[in-house]
Amino acid sequence: MLKMTHLSKAYRTEVVETFALRDFSIHVREGEFVAVTGPSGSGKTTFLTIAGLLEEFSGGEYQLDGANVRGLNDNQRSKLRNEKIGFIFQAFNLIADLNVQDNIDVPLRYRGFNGAERRRRIQEALGRVGLSARSRHYPAELSGGQQQRVAIARALAGSPRLLLADEPTGNLDTQMARGVMDLLEELHRDGATIVMVTHDPELAVRAQREVHIVDGQVVDMAPQPRLVEAAQAGS
Amino acid sequence: MELVPILSAMRRNKVGAIIIVVQMAVTLAILCNALFIIEQRIAWSERPTGADERNVFVIINQWVGDPTNLPALLQADLAGLRALPGVIDAFASNSFLLSNGGWSYGVDLMPDQKESTAQAARYFTDEHGLQSLGLKLIAGRNFNADEIADLFGVNDQTPAVSVIITKALAEKLFPGKSALGQSVWIANHAANIIGIVDRLQVPWVDPSVAKFSDYSILEPFRYVASGLYYIVRTQPGQLEAVLKAAEKELFDLNRERVLGKSRSLTEARVEAYKDDRGLAVILGVVCAALLVITAFGIVGLTSYWVAQRRRQIGIRRALGATRHAIVRYFQTENLLIAGAGAAIGVALALSLNLWMVNAFAMQRLHGSYPLVGAIVVLILGQAAVLWPALKAASIPPELATRAA
Repeated sequence: MLKMTHLSKAYRTEVVETFALRDFSIHVREGEFVAVTGPSGSGKTTFLTIAGLLEEFSGGEYQLDGANVRGLNDNQRSKLRNEKIGFIFQAFNLIADLNVQDNIDVPLRYRGFNGAERRRRIQEALGRVGLSARSRHYPAELSGGQQQRVAIARALAGSPRLLLADEPTGNLDTQMARGVMDLLEELHRDGATIVMVTHDPELAVRAQREVHIVDGQVVDMAPQPRLVEAAQAGS
Repeated sequence: MELVPILSAMRRNKVGAIIIVVQMAVTLAILCNALFIIEQRIAWSERPTGADERNVFVIINQWVGDPTNLPALLQADLAGLRALPGVIDAFASNSFLLSNGGWSYGVDLMPDQKESTAQAARYFTDEHGLQSLGLKLIAGRNFNADEIADLFGVNDQTPAVSVIITKALAEKLFPGKSALGQSVWIANHAANIIGIVDRLQVPWVDPSVAKFSDYSILEPFRYVASGLYYIVRTQPGQLEAVLKAAEKELFDLNRERVLGKSRSLTEARVEAYKDDRGLAVILGVVCAALLVITAFGIVGLTSYWVAQRRRQIGIRRALGATRHAIVRYFQTENLLIAGAGAAIGVALALSLNLWMVNAFAMQRLHGSYPLVGAIVVLILGQAAVLWPALKAASIPPELATRAA
């Protein structure tokens, strides 16, 4: 699903070149739930922005759902991002001026779906996150947990091949965070491929696999003990 | 098209949108009426007088003292002018076209009529008048030499027995039938219409005379007065040379005179409509300034919105919006605002015009003005929003991942 090989990302100024990612390789298979962890400044967010086609990389290869994304122009990247990727941001990133259903509608309009199709997808996505009754509410009228659920609904509505979550519970209290994580796990069980960037080890253990980054490089790709045990118990 | 979400977003940020709507509406209303006034004034100042303006000049003659032999002096002057090389013809009159000064009277269709049928300007001329002005006789005949009488100054009340009138006056006096051979009553004296000229403007140029601007009467008088106008028509291209020669000839004939500023009818036209041109220029500058201010208003407010919505734009880009989609979003938003401004502006323009029609007897605004004005305002809005929209489109999608 997501395959980066010897990928690098350098930020250049006139006097210095800084590598945010260096010789970075990762392979996320379809249906996997991967947690990307690491200390601050390790390159987690850079990985996420490149994986999400929000930013270009300097070297190496990146294949998303079998397509090589190197050399794509801005329009092609936007289109691919819209079709293949669903984003869940730490700060929810809902548009304050739009109500819940219009927020979910934003990527669907860019996708070019007709009105009936968009309405169907919005209802389905809202039903999935349990917020059907809140479709006319504005973000400011919802709790943080509900806002993140709306963001998840927005990410799901376009039936993306990959969900990218950036500290999805970072702005939530423990109870709300648990609810969001339960939802992500449920989505994973239903077959979604999820890559979650987090610095929280407690969240990381709920993923199927943890990838640890330090100084822009993958240092550990160990499977989660809980899931390994569960798999062994199952076999 | 994202009409519904854009309208929804605007409902929650009304003030800025309302300011631009009002600004565009006021701009449109003022623009339409100002352009209409400009067009009216230009059209007014470009009306043909009926004379061969390019080749006609006027000499203002004032005799010094109180000469007793004025008729003879006048005849000598006219003979001298007509004999000059390059002169087609010349005559003397009480008034001239575009002079903004002259005589007028009420024209009746019967004696003792309480209210005149028309107001008309009086021009005195001999049998040389038509040719000297280059007027086009469309019916009847010119005056004969034996019909011309001397008229001594402003107090001479000698009535004209025969007259030549303009087509416009003929149609006013005798609508639907020929005026030729008919009688008109001027100061309770009957005069027979012997000829009709295609056009001859009154000497006044103020729009207040619009109702009778082409109602003129030529009377068969040789104007004998200490102050009068010599009107001379030259061969094409010889006006300047003949004008100098004419002034010299008049002084050679008699030095007991003062000549006022001689001028061609072309110069007289420039002089006469100086204020109208000035008004048109001022209104044009005001319109241009208004458009520029409105455009800057749109650029300013849209730039502010872009700055305010940087994160939102980043989110939209992250969710799949292309740069073109972002530009289109701002253009659509502007189109909705400008559309509302144009709709209100059209109503405002028509109301403003209605008020001016009642208050200043202006003409009704032609429907094409609000239409063209609305299109101008819409294009202006689209042009003004382009730069901030392009700036918005350059906001990178990774902005969505940065802390709010």
